[in-house]
Amino acid sequence: MSTMTDNFVPRRKKRITGRSIAILAFLAMCAAFFCIPLYVVIVTSFKTMDQIRLGEIFSLPVTWTLEPWREAWSEACSGIKCEGVSAGFFASLKILFPSLILSLSVSSVTGYALALWNVRWAGTFMFILFMCAFVPFQIIMIPMIILTGKIGVYGTIWGVAVVHAVLALPILTLIFRNFYKDIPGEIMQAAIMDSGSFWRIYREIILPMSANIFIVVLILQITSIWNDFLIGITFGGLNNKPMTVILANTVISATGESSYNVDMAAALLTAIPPLLIYFVLGKFFVQGITAGAIKG
Amino acid sequence: MAIRWSRWSPQIALAPAVIVTAVAFIGSIGWTIYISFTGSRRFPDYAIDPERWSRQYERLAKDRAWGISLDNLIVFGIGSLLAIVFGFILAAMIEREKRGEDVFRTIFLYPLAISLIVTGIVWRWMFNPSLGVENFLHQLGWESASFDWLSSAETAMYGIILASLWQSSGFFMALMLSGLKSINSEIWSAARLDGVGVFRLYIEIIIPMMKFTFLTCAILLSLGVVKAYDIIVAMTNGGPGQSTWMPALFTINAYSAKSNIAYASAAAVMMLVITLAIFLPLLLLFIWQQKRRKAAVA
Repeated sequence: MSTMTDNFVPRRKKRITGRSIAILAFLAMCAAFFCIPLYVVIVTSFKTMDQIRLGEIFSLPVTWTLEPWREAWSEACSGIKCEGVSAGFFASLKILFPSLILSLSVSSVTGYALALWNVRWAGTFMFILFMCAFVPFQIIMIPMIILTGKIGVYGTIWGVAVVHAVLALPILTLIFRNFYKDIPGEIMQAAIMDSGSFWRIYREIILPMSANIFIVVLILQITSIWNDFLIGITFGGLNNKPMTVILANTVISATGESSYNVDMAAALLTAIPPLLIYFVLGKFFVQGITAGAIKG
Repeated sequence: MAIRWSRWSPQIALAPAVIVTAVAFIGSIGWTIYISFTGSRRFPDYAIDPERWSRQYERLAKDRAWGISLDNLIVFGIGSLLAIVFGFILAAMIEREKRGEDVFRTIFLYPLAISLIVTGIVWRWMFNPSLGVENFLHQLGWESASFDWLSSAETAMYGIILASLWQSSGFFMALMLSGLKSINSEIWSAARLDGVGVFRLYIEIIIPMMKFTFLTCAILLSLGVVKAYDIIVAMTNGGPGQSTWMPALFTINAYSAKSNIAYASAAAVMMLVITLAIFLPLLLLFIWQQKRRKAAVA
């Protein structure tokens, strides 16, 4: 948040010095390093296989073709199924919504209760949550498979969604708690005097104040669920594979000559939703990835 | 009535989170640790043979793939440290120059929004031996250029490190940038008046002032290193041979390919131990520094 205010501080016009040029040149070279893979993927996805076989990875397409994109979306084979990455796209969407509702509601209420209500064991609980946020997923993977199997959601959309919500709970709760703890005590005192109950204060005072933190957490969750691979492949079963899993199957376990143009189009299709969010709502994205990290 | 309810409401509201933490985290960790001492295979078997309770760990110690995984963890960890160095250099330059800050920041950070599977697939394509960057360099006339890192066991890890540097450097740049911005701007003018060189200024003043940021980066980096999985699956799937195995891949493979719950649990416990062994000292250092800073302010 400090970065936002810093940007508006008017700064003196500087003359371009030799040092500035050297720094800018270095930064531009680094920027090229970051851009090259994206460039390569984009041009490859529009090329014909004939041109790709020539091996000029950096050249522009001679004839631009949308065929690889169409094939990647609706025909490319993942295992024995040949329905493109579109199936994964819709599965990812279906995982996203229940998971977001579960994780945001539980963690915001928990964060609110921990930050603003007198709970005697809040400190201990927050310490446990903090430790849980850092344990490797593998240590709880097998029992979670058994547990989700017992309650009958293993291999379904709900199974993936629930596991996402569970794994996100510690860090999201801490983010919400850190946001709510800065709400002045006077506001809470007045609200309680006004015979406000726990839930009424949450609904009428806290929620309206939380728009900013909700957007940050929402974006953090959307990107991390969309980009997840391990939970999707472990809990999705055969019929509910998210987009990353379909993509990996399409590209990695393909037999015969790979259609690199189709592979790259499929990779781009998978990357576009989070990239769109990043380029449109970048500020919130950066806040999200640093919020959990720094404040911890 | 109303007062009583509101006294209980917070506890009721906390119940779901407490239950989830108790069952899904604490209970599950306990279960995994317990199972790692048993002889379970495809299904959990809760009997512990008192004479052979440590057999899974003994087997791990003898398993060559586990040894490779640990070696790779160290290589990958050291290589990934470059992301912090690189991130700091980028942040320092952006902070100093200020021109084009938003553009550079946006470019350096976008890989973070992309799935590691996509990142891995993209880099795999760049490393393609016959059609990728190596071929391009050969066509330029640089015949001896070698960029075919993934197909040899000696260099495959470096390929994965390069891709992961590409992915994560921007993140550390963002953390460093906000750290640099919180430094009082008077230091710069004071240093200029004292005639301190830029390089010495960074080494002797700026970096020590950013201890917190560096510690945070180190903690996050180490957690990411232990968890590394997706990018390996996408780039090499552990190959060539077993040369790019890492603990996370080993653990999941023990479960899904070998269907050995006890063995996978033992590997997972070792992952937890490694995480704690790196994480706890850094955390203690962090808390100690924080206490010292608070004492200095007071």
